[in-house]
Amino acid sequence: MSHVDAKPLGGKIFTKPVILLLIGASVGIYFLTVRYAHGIGAVSNLSDYMPWGIWKVLNVIVGAALVCGGYACAFTVYLFNQGRYHRYVRPALLLSLLGYSFAGFSLFYDVGRYWGLFNFLIPKYWQGNSVLFEVGLCVMTYICVLTLEIAPAIIEKFLKGDGRLAQMLYMLYRLLDRFLFLIISFGILLPTMHQSGLGGLAVVMGQKISPLWQTPLISLHHLISCIAMGYGCVIVTELMISKDYQEKSHMAILSKLAKAMRTFMFVFLVLRLSEVLRTGAILQAFAADLDSLAFWTEMLLIGGGIYMARNADARMVPKNIFLGSCLTMAAGSLYRINVYIIGFHPAPNVSYFPSVPELSISLGMICLQLALFITIIKTFPIVAYERR
Amino acid sequence: MKNESRRQFVKTMAAAGAGLLAAPLVPVQPAAANAIRERRDPEVGMLYDATKCIGCRACEVACKQANQKPTEYDAAGIWDAPKDLSAKTLTLVKLYKDETEHSFVKRQCMHCVDPACVSGCPTSAMIKQPNGAVTWDAKACVGCRYCQMGCPFNIPKYEFDSAYGRIVKCDLCSANGLLAQGCTACSQACPAGAILFGRQKGLLQIARQRIQANPGRYQEKIFGEFDSGGTGVIYLSGVSFDKLGFPDLPEYSAARISEGIQHTIYNNMIAPILIYFGLAFVAFRNIRMAHKQKEEPK
Repeated sequence: MSHVDAKPLGGKIFTKPVILLLIGASVGIYFLTVRYAHGIGAVSNLSDYMPWGIWKVLNVIVGAALVCGGYACAFTVYLFNQGRYHRYVRPALLLSLLGYSFAGFSLFYDVGRYWGLFNFLIPKYWQGNSVLFEVGLCVMTYICVLTLEIAPAIIEKFLKGDGRLAQMLYMLYRLLDRFLFLIISFGILLPTMHQSGLGGLAVVMGQKISPLWQTPLISLHHLISCIAMGYGCVIVTELMISKDYQEKSHMAILSKLAKAMRTFMFVFLVLRLSEVLRTGAILQAFAADLDSLAFWTEMLLIGGGIYMARNADARMVPKNIFLGSCLTMAAGSLYRINVYIIGFHPAPNVSYFPSVPELSISLGMICLQLALFITIIKTFPIVAYERR
Repeated sequence: MKNESRRQFVKTMAAAGAGLLAAPLVPVQPAAANAIRERRDPEVGMLYDATKCIGCRACEVACKQANQKPTEYDAAGIWDAPKDLSAKTLTLVKLYKDETEHSFVKRQCMHCVDPACVSGCPTSAMIKQPNGAVTWDAKACVGCRYCQMGCPFNIPKYEFDSAYGRIVKCDLCSANGLLAQGCTACSQACPAGAILFGRQKGLLQIARQRIQANPGRYQEKIFGEFDSGGTGVIYLSGVSFDKLGFPDLPEYSAARISEGIQHTIYNNMIAPILIYFGLAFVAFRNIRMAHKQKEEPK
């Protein structure tokens, strides 16, 4: 982590986009106060038949998968020893940290008895059979690990000067750098566990989830797709915050990431299709209902993402890999929404669509997260720059 | 060097992947009839005979009184007229009717032998008691509503209209003390003998005897004998169970598959720990190599 030349982007913090994001966030915060005063039913369309809505599915399950960049990057850089991808690690880790923290925060308004969330830490309440328990504990630990992974970037800013504090910080910095491999390994193991767990949550719901999505392999599907989404997130972030891609050498590196993304998405597609063919659930995809529409849209998005990054030439065009990454992220997100909302049929004729306040809270929290991300990359050395 | 570390990595990941891939292929034993019978031995439950039910709803009234649940008024504001089970209504008699046949059906928690809600609950708030009742612990619950997502019968309800909502479900009259006295409010109130309370083993015998003694009156199937791994409340009916709103479930609980996968991957945490050290080793070497490359200017 110390081997990257990164510096703050600088510039004004309250630019127009940031102010817009903050306005979005404040609408969400207003409805949050309503939720805390009058209960979940006052702001959402959740019901006893559809107890998990967009708060859990979009902000927690999809959100955690979208910011898998930190996982995908750590995986590539430190395991496959691809040091040239190093420059993507910090922004990806920062997005991961923010994404996971907000996923964790989302639980505090999504769960009904938020004061009980600390029971996850009390051994007498532990429940080893529960996938949700495993996911919860893994995510909590991973947030701590991400903090340690990103810490050097924050410390770097305060290293200048030679006071006592700076010396102590330097020692901490060296310590973190020295034991980086222990932290990194956690940063790879934990996401593997909880990203598959986020799919494993669906297994106990059994026949309530349409066979187009329900399978004992659902954890594997979630794991493979989240890695592709992570690469997609890294590519989109890089293209948006840096202009380095205009140089051919940089574009070549980015296109390699796009290749990895395409490969994982392809494996995901093969796994998904082989499973619906094996179980015969594919017949339901021709039923001309919402499920089949959702299924084919998902397939189209997956295919689109793969197509955009199909070969080396296509991958050298920034527009292609940007679009391909967006399609991949959309495909993975829709897949998760399909599993837990669209394909979830607890009883006949049950339908769910989020209410406006419910959506405002979801989107408001995403706005807040983006505003924070922009502010941090302007203030701290996260984004790498080319020494010219 | 690069290739070597890659090989190491592939080895590590192959071990992890094999575990992950093999997990679903590990035969998930559809809870055999014998195992269910054994588990049922010490447990109590109820038998509801739809052909005997007269639809008087005395059970509903008794349940609301015993468990101190509020009224759900009809439009005119006179009757307690719940349309479905809810956080205010733990048991409910519904009517199925078409041109040729009709039947009442009483719904409440099925008190599964192998409950999905208990398996899913992350903080041990849902508990399968040794006597067979599935109960809820307010102190442990985080309100994640995973029990609602998991329950194949959509039984647990959440108080969405409260800022401090609770999960509400039939607890077989555990909390109000009737179970300790050897009965439940609904079975005690039934004037038609449609609800029997007792040991599950005995109830199953009664159910089978009734089917044998009155062929034609009953469906062949006892709902809950094996469905979803067996349920503590079992049903006899004259009309088919799908018409009464019961889902078509396999003979094992979804919790068996979920826990089967979970316990294969996380068997004593051996696989995760091994993978962790494998990862740490590879990462250590790669980082050291990167340092060296930096020190030696090209």
